[in-house]
Formats: sequence, C-alpha cells, structure tokens
Amino acid sequence: MTDRITEELRGICGASAVLTEPVQLLTYECDALPHLRESPAIVVLPNTAAQVQAVVRVCAREAVPFVARGHGTGLSGGALPVPGCVVISLARLNRVLDVDIPNRLVTVEPGVTNLEITRQVAPFGYYYAPDPSSQQVCSIGGNVAENSGGAHCLKYGFTVHHVVEVEAVLPDGSLARIGSRLADEPGPDVLGLLVGSEGTLAVVTKVVVRILRRPETVQTLLAAYDTISAAGTAVSEIIAAGIIPAAVEMMDALAIKAAEAAVHPNFPPADTILIVELDGPVPEVRELFATVEAICRRTGASTVEVAADEAHRLRIWKGRKAAFAAMGRVSPNYYVQDGVVPRTKLPEVLGRIRALSERSGLGIGNVFHAGDGNLHPLICYDESVPGQAALAEQVAGEILTYCVEAGGSITGEHGVGADKKDYMPRMFSEHDLDAFQQVRDAFDPQRICNPGKVLPTPRLCGEVPGPYREHPVERAGLAERF
Amino acid sequence: MTVLQQGRAGSAGEAIDGITPQLVAEPTSGEACAAVLAAAAGGRVPTVIRGSGTKSGWGRPLDVVDLVVSTKSLNNLLVHRDGDLTVTVGAGLTLARLNTTLSARGQWLPVDSAFVGATIGGALATNDSGPLRQRFGTPRDLLIGITLALTDGRVVKSGGTVVKNVAGYDLGKLVTGSYGALAAIVDATFKLLPLPHASATLRAVYSDPEPLAADAAAISAGQFEPLAFDVRAADTADGLRWTLLVRFASSPAAVATQLDAARALVHGETTALREGLEARAWSEQVGHAWEGDATVVRCSWLPSRLGEVLALVRTLRAECGVTFTGRVGTGSGLLRLAGEDAAVEGAILRLRLDASPVGHVVVLRGSRALRSQVDVWGAAPSAPAAALKRALDPTGILNAGRGPL
Repeated sequence: MTDRITEELRGICGASAVLTEPVQLLTYECDALPHLRESPAIVVLPNTAAQVQAVVRVCAREAVPFVARGHGTGLSGGALPVPGCVVISLARLNRVLDVDIPNRLVTVEPGVTNLEITRQVAPFGYYYAPDPSSQQVCSIGGNVAENSGGAHCLKYGFTVHHVVEVEAVLPDGSLARIGSRLADEPGPDVLGLLVGSEGTLAVVTKVVVRILRRPETVQTLLAAYDTISAAGTAVSEIIAAGIIPAAVEMMDALAIKAAEAAVHPNFPPADTILIVELDGPVPEVRELFATVEAICRRTGASTVEVAADEAHRLRIWKGRKAAFAAMGRVSPNYYVQDGVVPRTKLPEVLGRIRALSERSGLGIGNVFHAGDGNLHPLICYDESVPGQAALAEQVAGEILTYCVEAGGSITGEHGVGADKKDYMPRMFSEHDLDAFQQVRDAFDPQRICNPGKVLPTPRLCGEVPGPYREHPVERAGLAERF
Repeated sequence: MTVLQQGRAGSAGEAIDGITPQLVAEPTSGEACAAVLAAAAGGRVPTVIRGSGTKSGWGRPLDVVDLVVSTKSLNNLLVHRDGDLTVTVGAGLTLARLNTTLSARGQWLPVDSAFVGATIGGALATNDSGPLRQRFGTPRDLLIGITLALTDGRVVKSGGTVVKNVAGYDLGKLVTGSYGALAAIVDATFKLLPLPHASATLRAVYSDPEPLAADAAAISAGQFEPLAFDVRAADTADGLRWTLLVRFASSPAAVATQLDAARALVHGETTALREGLEARAWSEQVGHAWEGDATVVRCSWLPSRLGEVLALVRTLRAECGVTFTGRVGTGSGLLRLAGEDAAVEGAILRLRLDASPVGHVVVLRGSRALRSQVDVWGAAPSAPAAALKRALDPTGILNAGRGPL
C-alpha cells in the first residue's frame, strides 16, 4: 500500500479509523475460521456509507483489492484478507435507522447485530426470523453476505426471504439501491443474487428487513431415542403428516455428552435426541403438537419430554445451541463441517459418517438441522498428535463428498468463502462455474471485491481446472485431495 | 443461418402479442435450447422465449417477431422427491398439471396464477403470483435450483435439489422477473408444501373503503396467520363494491377459531366460505382483473397506505372504469382500467405521480397503441441489472425491445 493511498484513506475516514500497525491488523487476519489467516495491508473503519463509497472509489481507481467485514463470525473465511488488500470493517455502521411497525420493516446499517433487530421490535410483539447460532454477535451485513439461516429456517426461510432492499456500494464505487420496500419491482431479482454472494459483488451499507409477528404460542418437545435411524423415521413421519415444524434438531451421543458436560441441560439418557418445535396460533399448535408427540412415541422414543414452560424450553435449546462450543469439553480440538443432504438420505449419510469415524479413529459428533438435512458434523482431533489436524480436515472433506453424492450441497449456511472454494467443482461443472464468474465480472470487472472467495482460483501449478477428477493415486485409496 | 435450419415457420397459435413469429424452434433438451440461442445470438436474431403464451402480450409492443423459442417440449415432471418435499420440472410444464400430480401425494407448489395453462418457466420469468403469496411468497421464494440455457450455447445450473444450500451464486433468483431477457429456463427445482388439512375464508363486504382499510389494519396487527389476505373493489351498477377476503388454512379447529376471531374484528357484512364456495370466491378473485380485455396495470404500496390506495381507486373511477384486486399483507395489486386510451393513459400518469401512494406501476395488458404511448415498465433497468444483461446476453437478442431489460 503506498503512503499516498494510506493518506487518502486517512483523509476519508479520519486518521484514527485507518489501521496500519501490524499489531492492530492482527484482529483482522481471520474470521471465525482461524486456520486461514492473511494480514491485510490496511484496515479502514468508516463511519458512514459515504465514507465506504469513497474508500471503494479509491480502491477501484488504484485497482486495490478490498474485503468487507462485519463482526468476523463467519465460518468459511469469507472475510479472509488477501495480500495487499484493504479490509473495510463495517463495525461502526451500527445504527438502527428506522423501525416501521405498521409496514413490518426495519432499516439498519450493516454493523447492527442480528439480535438487535429483534430487540428493537420485541416490545411491539415482533421479531426478526433468521436466527443463526451466532445471532447475539453476528452482523446483519454478514447475514446478507452469507444468506444466513438458523434453526428455524425450515419454516421461515433464510435471510434472502427476509431482506427486501439494500443500499450497496458497487465495486466501481457507485452507490445503488437494490431491491425495494415495495413489492414487485419490475426486472430481474438482483437482490436475490446479491444476498448470499459472500461479499463478492458489493459492499452493503444499509439493509431493510421484514419482521414477523411473534407467533401466538411456541411448543417444544424433546424425544430420546436408542438409535439415530428411529429418530430419523420420526422426522420423516412428522413431515409426511403434513406438519412443517418451526425447528427439528437432532443430536447424537457424542454431542449429547458434550452438551451435558458444558451446560447440564439434563437431557435424558439417549443415543439420539430429537428436538421438535412448533409455533403458530394456539389451536393449531395444540392439535399438531399432539400428532408430533404420538409420532415420537410410536417410533420408539424412550422418553418424550414436553417443555412445560419457557424456562424448560430455553433449557432444551441451551443444550442444543451449546453443542458446538461444548465439543471443547470432550476433545482438545474440533472441526465444524457444514453440509446438506436430502432429508430422506439422512440415515444413509449418517451411517457413512459413523463408519468414517471408526475407520479414521476420530470421534465425530453430529448436531444438525434434521428438518432440512443440514448436517454439522463436529470432527474431534488433537492437534498435539502429529498428523491429526490434517486427518480431521481430510475427514471433513470426505463428509462433503458423501453430501454431494447423496444429492446435497457442500454448504447449507456457512458459505463457500475461502474454505470450500476448491470443493465447488464437486457440485458444479466448469460451465456452471464460468457462468458464476461471468456474473461476478458483471459487477466487478477488475476482480477486486473480496477476491479468492466462492470460486476456485485459477490453477497456477498445471492443475486442470473443471470438474473434480479422481487422480489414479486417489482411486487406489492411497491419497485424498482437499 | 443455422437457426433457420433448426426452426420452422410460426403459426397464429404461437403468436407473441398478436404477431405470428417468423420462426419457431421447439427444443427438446437444454442443450438443444442453448444451441438455438447460440445460433440466434450469432445471427443477431431477436428472440422471444415462450411457454404457453398466457403472458406473452406483456411488455412493449413489437412490430416483428423473428424467432420464438418454445419450451413446449421441455414439459416433463422430472423428479418428485415426495419424502423431501421437492420437485424438479421442465420449464414448459404447466402449474396446473404439476399441482394435479402433486396433490395425489398431499403436496403442492403454492403459486396461484390467474392464467390457466401458465407454465412453470413463465411463472418464474414473470415472478407471477396470486393471493397465496401472503403465506408462501412468490415463485422466487420457493425456487431452490435452476437449469438455464445461455446465449453462448452453454447449459448451466445453479442451486440444487436441497432446500438449504448456499453454494454458488443464485442464478435462479436472478432470472425470476427477467421476462426471458437473460437466459432461457430449462428446468427448475422447488420446495413443496403439504396441502393444508382444512381451509375457510371470511368474506366481508363494505359500501365504503374506509372501514375496510381499518378492518384490514386490525387483522394485520393481530396474531393471525392467514393463507391469503385480499381486497377487491368491483365496479357495479351501484358503484364500487368493496370486499375483504381472509383465508385461513390449518387444522380444522385452528381454522374455525381464527375465522371467528377475525369475524369479531370486522365491520363489513360477513360470510364464512368453505369448500366449493371458497374455491369459487378465490378463483373469481384471482381472475377478476383479467376479465374482458381492458387495460391491466400492476402496482404496489406500503401496506400501511392501503386506505390511500383505496381512495385513489375511487378517484380514478371518475376518469375511467376501474376494478381493483390487491394483496393486503404484501401491498401489491392489479387495476383494471376500462375506457378510451387517453383516459386510461391519464389514469396511469396519475398513478405515477410522485405523490401517489403506489409505486412500480407496470402496464401488463393494454392495447398496442397504449403500450406504444406510455412507458410500460415505468423505469429503466438498474445499473447492475443492465450490466448483467450485457454479461449474459451480449448481443441483446433476448426479449429485445420488449423490456424490462
């Protein structure tokens, strides 16, 4: 970064909002995927959309890459800097601009946290539906970038279903309104493309989200099973009964053990725990909940525990939501994977994961959104044992292969980012990836907006681009490529 | 030119906006479709993609239709994964046929088009919807994967077949509402919903719009979860007749409770509609704007401004015949404007005034003269939309001259 550019950025954002000292830059080297690290050349902390725009204009003029960053909770390296880049932190754009209850719209800056939106509207009986586990700290700008989901997206959808309009700085430095508070804007759904584009098409500076009326009632039950396949059968029967629960979550024995060790939710003894939550009008929930309870008992649940009150319900969820962090209680290190399989393929894929765990010798805990087939295997390893970290990464990659083979996806909610871009050819053909690149180039012909994310980088070492091709060594089972 | 060899002469039944196409190609695969588009792009032949043609008159009028690419033969129901509640269908399959098949398994794709015979591809390309959007959104909200044929001859996929998936760019959402101006839709994958166990509709009729708007606001503020929530202003001999329709679908007990609670809130003359009567009421509501051949204009508004919108409808009636159907919760609706073109044009201009409570005023159906006279779309494409058009259709052949891109 030249001194001239640094000075110009100081002029735009103020000297205290431009970081260049290596010790200051440390925080920005990675997001919540700490094994991928890179130091940016400079970090700017703009305070207004106009400053963001001015910074991007400088980057565009100088062809300097830039990476937008919310609160750094991403799990795929989506905010990973690239060498020589400007990191644009949106943490100071954290104002709630408008709360419009009659129209159920809230306008916020991107640095506002997900949960803050619900906090703002809760007094009126409303809430913001997408609830990623990190909702207390993650930014809405990051949610837009990643199209974040959460435990309740089976019924309520993802960020893309709840954002109606954004203001964004395009990679050429122009400011655009994308989407509309009003329905049916004519033309292609550019907003639908932008949400989930992982910060590669624009830097969002304002977000208008739709809020929902809080459901009249919420009912939660926990069912304990001896086998994961019995729990899986229960899920299939619930769906087949025409019920779309607000959430259907499963935890296996290792995840239960970890959660018990960490937050003592007092789960009954079980191989698998199923959590089902229904919400809606009281008579509907009462009737459907009885059906769910009957299905759980019929499919062999040893215990069915219905949350008697809100405290009980929160205890059940505490156990579920703590499961990730709790893995630290049972394993020195763990790797969180995110993949999706069609719901009906869950038993088959979980069986393969179990076999993989036995073969590799690494414990794999499973905590997942069973309703939509979104798996979060937690691969336990000990980095002090030589080779185990690499083995864990290999195992994590193998699980993605199972997901793709079952007709699923390499990521359900964490994003591709820098972490999984090389798996993209397993899901998409060369033509598909080329089309993605064309779309990206339409926004960012200089390729300076969050480079190195989503799409596999052009191979420089003679590796053939295109769909994943098995190497003879891999075919012989002697090596795997990740 | 290759494309000439692949096409055949068009017939009157394949007309676009009343004009018989010079050439029609009816590809039977995504690859064949992409090959036709590539040939058309190579020869710079303006091309219109056509499903059943139910909405092919929408857009700016053309004098000549060079090439129509019909999706008629891309009409297979490819895979119904009933246990996963997903389906993959060819673009040329009709919504009605799809839903007939799905209903045998207790499932549906809840998109209620006004057009019998509307295809999946056409519903996506226009992001068409009806009253069910109150609960389920528009086709873009249900779409989870897509296959597209591009003008460079490639067939590409985006999304997948699972309901939760954030890998890659969502080109499916991008092409919804693009009116075939970016690529041809070959097939699409949707998440499905279970058919509701029970359903009932509360109809309330008013002689004035003010109490209707107040009642609509009261229901909106309550903890109801309607399946559909609509308003209508019908032009009758006795003046405008105002109707509010609220449909509840759930378990039988929940439907009854919600219906009673809603009835207690409203002041109009109420009727509870079930089964055949209910189905007929909604079918009338969906088709209301499209009766006859008068001009149909789409517009939207912030839901809190419903009262102002209804007042505007009443004002417009002084200038031309007017009926109105709208979605209370989403703030979107259709105006049918009957009268001389000049009067209708005046009404459209009034709708587009800065002070008007409605926005995104688009002329969907109108005489060729009217559509030549007024700006059909009401807005130029945004800079990103225009850039995407250049990237995906660099020769500008798709829906050329018709918009919105």
